[in-house]
Amino acid sequence: MTFAFHASDWLLLAPELFLTAMGLLLLGLSVALGKTKEDFLAFLATVSVGITGALVAFVATRPERATPILGGAFVVDNFALFFKALVLLSLALTVLASARYVGAAPYPGGEYYALLLFSGVGMLFMASGNNLISIYVALELMALSSYVLAGYFKAEPKSTEAALKYFILGAFSSGVLLYGLSLVYGAGGVMGLPELAKLLASASRSNLLMLGILLILAGLLFKIAAVPFHVWTPDVYEGSPTPVTAFFSVGPKVAAYAILARIFYVAFAKFHADWGFVVALVSAATMVLGNVAALLQSNVKRMLAYSSIANAGYALLGVLGFRTEWGLWGILIYLLAYTFMNFGAFTLIILLESKGYAGESVSDFNGLAKRSMPAAVVMLLFLLSLAGIPPTAGFIGKYYLFTAAMKAGYAWLAILAVVMSAVSLFYYFRIAAAMFFTEGSPAKLKSSYALSAVIAVCAVGTLVIGVVPQPFLEVLKSCVLGR
Amino acid sequence: MDALLRDHLVSVVVFLPLAGAVLLLLLPRSAASAARNIAFGVSVLDLIVSVPLWTRFLVGVPGFQLRERIDWIPQLGITYNVGLDGISLLLVMLTTVLTPVSLLFSLTHVEKEVRGYSVAFLVLETGMLGSLVALDLALFYVFWEVMLVPMYFIIGIWGGPRRIYASMKFFLFTMSGSLLMFLAILFVAIRHHTATGAWSFALEDLTRMTFTGRVETYLFLAFALAFAIKVPVFPLHTWLPDAHTEAPTAGSIILAGVMLKLGAYGYLRFALPLFPDAAMRFAPWLGVLGVIGVIYGAMVAYAQHDMKRLVAYSSVSHLGLVVIGIGAFTTMSLSGSILQMVNHGLSTGALFLLVGVLYERRHTRELDAYGGIAAVVPVTTALFLIATLSSIGLPGLNGFVGEFTILLGTWLSPHRWWSAAAATGVILSAIYMLTLVQRVFWNPLVVEENRKLTDVRPSEFVAAATLVVLMVWIGVRPNDVLDRIRPAVESLQKSVAARQVALHESARPEISEVRR
Amino acid sequence: MGQYLPILVFAVLAAALPIGTIVIARAVQTRRPNAAKLEPYECGVEATTSAFDTRFSVRYFLIAVLFVVFDVETIFLFPWAVMFHRLGLFGLAEMLVFLAILVVGYFYCWKRKALDWA
Repeated sequence: MTFAFHASDWLLLAPELFLTAMGLLLLGLSVALGKTKEDFLAFLATVSVGITGALVAFVATRPERATPILGGAFVVDNFALFFKALVLLSLALTVLASARYVGAAPYPGGEYYALLLFSGVGMLFMASGNNLISIYVALELMALSSYVLAGYFKAEPKSTEAALKYFILGAFSSGVLLYGLSLVYGAGGVMGLPELAKLLASASRSNLLMLGILLILAGLLFKIAAVPFHVWTPDVYEGSPTPVTAFFSVGPKVAAYAILARIFYVAFAKFHADWGFVVALVSAATMVLGNVAALLQSNVKRMLAYSSIANAGYALLGVLGFRTEWGLWGILIYLLAYTFMNFGAFTLIILLESKGYAGESVSDFNGLAKRSMPAAVVMLLFLLSLAGIPPTAGFIGKYYLFTAAMKAGYAWLAILAVVMSAVSLFYYFRIAAAMFFTEGSPAKLKSSYALSAVIAVCAVGTLVIGVVPQPFLEVLKSCVLGR
Repeated sequence: MDALLRDHLVSVVVFLPLAGAVLLLLLPRSAASAARNIAFGVSVLDLIVSVPLWTRFLVGVPGFQLRERIDWIPQLGITYNVGLDGISLLLVMLTTVLTPVSLLFSLTHVEKEVRGYSVAFLVLETGMLGSLVALDLALFYVFWEVMLVPMYFIIGIWGGPRRIYASMKFFLFTMSGSLLMFLAILFVAIRHHTATGAWSFALEDLTRMTFTGRVETYLFLAFALAFAIKVPVFPLHTWLPDAHTEAPTAGSIILAGVMLKLGAYGYLRFALPLFPDAAMRFAPWLGVLGVIGVIYGAMVAYAQHDMKRLVAYSSVSHLGLVVIGIGAFTTMSLSGSILQMVNHGLSTGALFLLVGVLYERRHTRELDAYGGIAAVVPVTTALFLIATLSSIGLPGLNGFVGEFTILLGTWLSPHRWWSAAAATGVILSAIYMLTLVQRVFWNPLVVEENRKLTDVRPSEFVAAATLVVLMVWIGVRPNDVLDRIRPAVESLQKSVAARQVALHESARPEISEVRR
Repeated sequence: MGQYLPILVFAVLAAALPIGTIVIARAVQTRRPNAAKLEPYECGVEATTSAFDTRFSVRYFLIAVLFVVFDVETIFLFPWAVMFHRLGLFGLAEMLVFLAILVVGYFYCWKRKALDWA
């Protein structure tokens, strides 16, 4: 084995390195400052994410990124850059949405932001992961930080419960994933995805390999909360502090999709016939169960948890449609849309949340239109988008996914997805009805600049992608694996 | 400005209300009367702007006129592609007339959240007009969905006691239908892409595709379901009485006047030309459902105690007649159906409006709460009577022309018995409508409160009288309308017939696609 | 499979050592129990609980975790030391970064009073 490390490798890793350094700095500051100056820490975290974004933009212009770095462990292709941008977007939104929430909580904020940034570093690496080991390590960095974030309100039993459930089930699924990775390594003897693909191209089906692929799939399906690996989702989403929930519903999922797509598109494409059927079944079950279970919820966080399960099912259509570029595009544009609309919806809950867990029951949305018309209208926009109604981002996302599914010959799944979208209208519009049609508390809504900014960004994103999608679609076109 | 009106007249008509809605959003929320007046003013302005559509439309020329085409999402082949033929022209005019009429009525009767109400109506108008002029299926779908949301709020916020239930039911019914249509649109577009290598959602491009067998049947059913829910065709009509009963008067006028027509319009514009073979195969079923709708709607209407519910069920019955005309598919029956859509918009719109007038004074719509008020409110009575007569098809008024054309056209088709059955529906409608008039306006005056009823206000009178004038106009000069419909109908029939011949002459492989 | 043989041998040896010592101890020991000898602590004071009901302070847990963390981290120093010459300057820089991160963690634990017993 040769060690081919170049100085340019570090250059291409600048975003990740910078974010790690800032995370460490925040950790140090958190003990130095204690519970004071948390606004400054939030500001610092925001600026760090912003600079990291600039670094990603800088990396995008470098010609050296054509070749994989650090001995093939990571690759900085357009696909990775898209996901990095998406991860940083959700990270920035989370930091902004957390400022007021964390400031009001009796726990030190520096650690919170540091953990967020570490989790972000993990996700940035996941987006680039090009080797079974590097993917796994990046995933664990993200996951371990997430477990702690879930239990961040450590005096709240619900938060602790969420953290414990997340940790135990998460660790179990990581174990399953690792076992799958080791079996695939055992079958192929190489770690890099391109090498694996080359090797598997001439390999024949073997039970060992199939078991490995299925275990990897199971491990990753857990991370995106697909049925039957979804049971942790509602409890974790309900118990975690709401900004963390918002973060969980987009960031880790986005990153998990990045590696799911990369592993299955690059390495296992040949055995599509074997895993395609499983993914199709999982997708169908996820859409049905997520939507039907969401119907029964009266807690908005749980409802959105099930809705995010259902959305994971839609996005799996993109994994199935991998034979045409539509599948990949579908995943990318849908996740972009999903980040805006889902994060926006969660931010509205944060806005309603004054103390403790208010804002979580559907009835807390009663009469929101009276209290603040803009808030109600924006929430409606997010709900419409989640339901996939034009002209919103969610519609464009579903458009791509359904096209991908039909082009790949999964018309029955597309039909199921549409029927389930109709079902989803029931629960999304329960919130809409509560906001506009019923009377509620007359209390004025208190917002902050940071929260307003998050909501505005999400609303603009949701609407602009829906009305003038062209520029985004141009970007998508260039997002092909390995370039 | 002149250039804008000359080259982009259709777009101006479509988006003017939306611009008005945006303007209203800039107003403070408390500026209720300003909001009212601006909304009404914008809708009147839109009516004025739409008149040149009528005058500049070339009579007797088939095909679409006043076309505009701009790329919207080139990557997906989605264009902003609009234009008018006789069918859409009529319905566009109906929309631009009914919107100011309903807003005029609302000027005096809506107090809650006036700004939101006005915004909802203007957005609704843009949605309806857009759906009527769109010649790109994706664009059509977008407008079609845009239309639903404001109506959901109009029923849900400004409606009656069971408004939340009614609005949810309305929304979920129509939305579930249209989602399947969306999938069918996507499927057709993907087929077009596989066949030609280019993405397009334009109606002209997609009608060149040919589908056969099961595929065509499924696609057709997906489209037909969406439109049948909207019409509504029996047995998918159950959302309609609830929606009408709970909707505010102006909402009912628009719902019955325009939105229901969009179901039949969509069927004629998209489902028929895209899937002619399946449409022809299912036409007999459509006719039978129409017959059931006519008779069932009439009988249920007769049993109602609530005036608004009665008028709502009469809509089910009248639209059944329209469906029969479409099912029969002769030039005459189709023309009659299209004319009858307009007639129904006018007469039912007027009926809902006048029921609203009474309701605003007595706050009840129970038939038994009225009786003998003809002497108390003579003008209301006269207007109501004219609208009723129009609705039941008295010669000299618009309803007669439409019904007669449909019945005659259907008689000339292979399905004569539909015509006979539909005729009974016409008779039944006379029975229940005249009973309604009798019980409300004539019978002895027993409820003392009714003596203090006040007659129509000027604004209400203008609103209702506008509709009455149009009823008389169409009744006296039906050819003004029919001349504009006929070329559109003939070209529709020609294209369906041509494509059916082509289909049956070709070797009929399981999936055949026209390659250009 | 031959290359895995050393691992198997290692695993067998690893298992044999603890089992062997226990078995040998059992075999060679002399056993003359009495009541006092069977007490958890032979200190003259009567035990209040049984041996398996003793509660430990949660701080032991924290200390144990910290020990494992820093102990395991030092393992990474060994392969680096072995390959020091081949990894060269790059390896040195890498290891310094690694240690810096470790120091931040140590500093954090210290300041957050994870090392205090109070």
